[in-house]
Amino acid sequence: MAVTGRAALLALLATVAVAFSGLLGPQAAGVAVALVVLLVALDVLLAASPRAMRLSREGDTSLRLGETATVYVIVTNPTRRRLRGLVRDAWPPSAHASPRSHRLRVDPGERRRVATELTPTRRGDAHAAGVTVRSIGPLGLAGRQRTLRAPWTVRTLPPFHSRRHLPGKLSRLRELEGQHTAMVRGQGSEFDSLRDYVPGDDVRSIDWRATARGDGVVVRTWRPERDRRILVVLDTGRTSAGRVGDTPRLDHAMDAALLLAALAGKAGDRVDFLAYDRRVRAQVRASGRGSQVSRIVEAMAPLEAELVESDPAGLVGTVLGTQGRTRRLVVLLTDLDPASLEEGLLPRLSALTSRHLVMVAAVRDPAVDAMAAERGTSTALYRAGAAERTLGARRRVTAELRRMGVEVVDADPEHIAPALADAYINLKAQGRL
Amino acid sequence: MTTASPQVPTEAPGSRARGAWHALRFPLAVAAVLLTVSVLASLGSEQFPTGHLEPGSVEPDGTRALVNVLREDREVEVVRSSEAAAEAVSGAGDAVLVLTMDHRLLPEELERLAGLGADTVLVQPGVNTLEAFAPGVEVSGRSDGESLLGGFSGAGLEPHCDLPAAAAAGPVHLDGELYTASAGTGCYPGGTGDALVRVERDGAAITVLGTGTPLVNDALDRAGNAALALNVMDADTVVWLRPDPPQQEGGASPVELLPPGLRWSLLPLLLTLALLALWQGRRLGALVPEALPVVVRASETTEGRAGLYRSRQARDRVASALRSGFLERNVPRLGLGADASPAAVVSALADRTGDAPEELRALLYPGSPDPWTADDEALLRLADGLDERVRRLQR
Repeated sequence: MAVTGRAALLALLATVAVAFSGLLGPQAAGVAVALVVLLVALDVLLAASPRAMRLSREGDTSLRLGETATVYVIVTNPTRRRLRGLVRDAWPPSAHASPRSHRLRVDPGERRRVATELTPTRRGDAHAAGVTVRSIGPLGLAGRQRTLRAPWTVRTLPPFHSRRHLPGKLSRLRELEGQHTAMVRGQGSEFDSLRDYVPGDDVRSIDWRATARGDGVVVRTWRPERDRRILVVLDTGRTSAGRVGDTPRLDHAMDAALLLAALAGKAGDRVDFLAYDRRVRAQVRASGRGSQVSRIVEAMAPLEAELVESDPAGLVGTVLGTQGRTRRLVVLLTDLDPASLEEGLLPRLSALTSRHLVMVAAVRDPAVDAMAAERGTSTALYRAGAAERTLGARRRVTAELRRMGVEVVDADPEHIAPALADAYINLKAQGRL
Repeated sequence: MTTASPQVPTEAPGSRARGAWHALRFPLAVAAVLLTVSVLASLGSEQFPTGHLEPGSVEPDGTRALVNVLREDREVEVVRSSEAAAEAVSGAGDAVLVLTMDHRLLPEELERLAGLGADTVLVQPGVNTLEAFAPGVEVSGRSDGESLLGGFSGAGLEPHCDLPAAAAAGPVHLDGELYTASAGTGCYPGGTGDALVRVERDGAAITVLGTGTPLVNDALDRAGNAALALNVMDADTVVWLRPDPPQQEGGASPVELLPPGLRWSLLPLLLTLALLALWQGRRLGALVPEALPVVVRASETTEGRAGLYRSRQARDRVASALRSGFLERNVPRLGLGADASPAAVVSALADRTGDAPEELRALLYPGSPDPWTADDEALLRLADGLDERVRRLQR
């Protein structure tokens, strides 16, 4: 049951009419009230039943954070009455559904499609809450309303802002492969093939032995190592929940992990993905050649930082247990938090470093750096002292990790993704993968 | 967040009733306390009528004191209407009628009372009353400088007449209206007339008082006020008439004065309001709940520690943090290892910055007690000194 402004207006007109009815007041009041109630009741009865409407959906199922997705609701009217009224496609507040409701008119036996645009401000899955149909009667006074179920889920993927760094890093990769025009000889460390010498090739790459066997001059070509395995581990524990700028550390880490995955995929390496705090939250295993980025993005979408202390023993066990014997690069995206690292990860790291190459990447908080530079008042100095202490602890943990043979990438949110990519390219150039 | 459907908060059974009780118990307690206090306060308090010359009133302008004094040796009947007064006067053998607030009586009622032929005391009567009871007595003015209720600050007026009641009473506060009588006795002259006039009419003594001041509670114990009142009301029965205000006849409430159409339009108006509320209040589907994200700044522990340092004035901690930050950042640039000795660091720094080694040693390795942590000023100087070395190193 719902009424429109028109019903209130009708009742107001009845009020005015009764006010001027003079001595006929009692009769006029009775007639007016009865008339309004009767018309409203009639309109409710004559309205098409909202419960009888058939709903179906189509539209986008996923989008990147910051983009807008369009979801459609198709309302089919199987009744013999015309449906007039409002339809609201309800979504959680953070999905920012627009418009809030649609005016709709569906003739008997026909169907109409209404579009709702979603601009989510949070990563993850947004579930449709229900479609409310308000059917107004032919007089436009009142009607019936019903909320129907029409399930749909829109997955908001990580934005992958660092994609803009991808072309630059790829060109660095190509330099390694010797395909870059500026490079005469590739710096890769793995023998690729022999081919005929063409003017311009570096004379140092001439394979004299092969040249002696044949007619022409033959050069060796080199390429960087391929088909190495990389495991990206995302720590989703409490330290990842802290916000750097306006974004949780976890999201910065995802951005960096995606750039690394995209880059490694192009370089021919296989990328696995693991999200872990006290249990496996998400896992992607590389299946065959090709980029795993889209699968990793899908796996990342619903991840949120949990307010629990991560379990480093379980993490190390999972990394060692699920992988084969092959050596791989394990990239751990976490925070260089001395309290949790020194007690948890450091003692167990040797188990990892003995078999794999380990890289730890952490997002550095520019707010702490700014605090350390504060001067002028005693309050500012106390803040600077506290910040220096935090930075010093980070340096100590970094030094300790490096002593154990772990690569450490520590950069602020702006630079963490390119810094991680550079560290990967450097490892590749050194042939350490 | 998992892929499960949105979490709808569930309520434990009975929690709604408990919530309502939690929300209502404080207002209920306040209401109960207020009720108890007001009931207790109203217990034992007697309500007295109030009003000018009201025989039951204990206010300064009431006459309860006089009535109680009169009751010691004579009957006093307090009546509120002319009918009751006539009945009381007729029923008593020797009666004096005291008429106050006579403007509340209609002329025919006055005529009827005057026709009783009883002794009468008129207190500040109106023109109609004077005509009915004492024709020939005229209002001649007011005694000067007195309020309407009558003041009694001075010694009062002297009787200056041979009326026994007045002569025995002596001076009385009778500042009010003044009268002249064609026949009869005038007492308490004050300017243009007399404040008390006694006339005879058909064998009844009619006493006219220019004001009720001598009768009120506040003035009864002054001068000869009480004596005059007792003297002029000298009878076995005193019938004290203070008429109630005349009842309005055929009065209509404001609602009844409205045209019936307007009155009856309230019914459809209620319906209009109900429809308006329904129109604006009906929501298009339920609200959608959503879990709020965790918002915690990554720098929170650092800022918390800064607050602790400041509240405990931990200058030693701040100084050592600033120094180690300086050393850890700059010593590697000097080509020294992290475990270089203080002497090596100082000499390398002195080479690069041009400072005296003693000065640098005092800044970086002051020993104990640390002079740089004496107060906040010293700490600020330490920070400035370190920043200055950083600038020189970068040059």
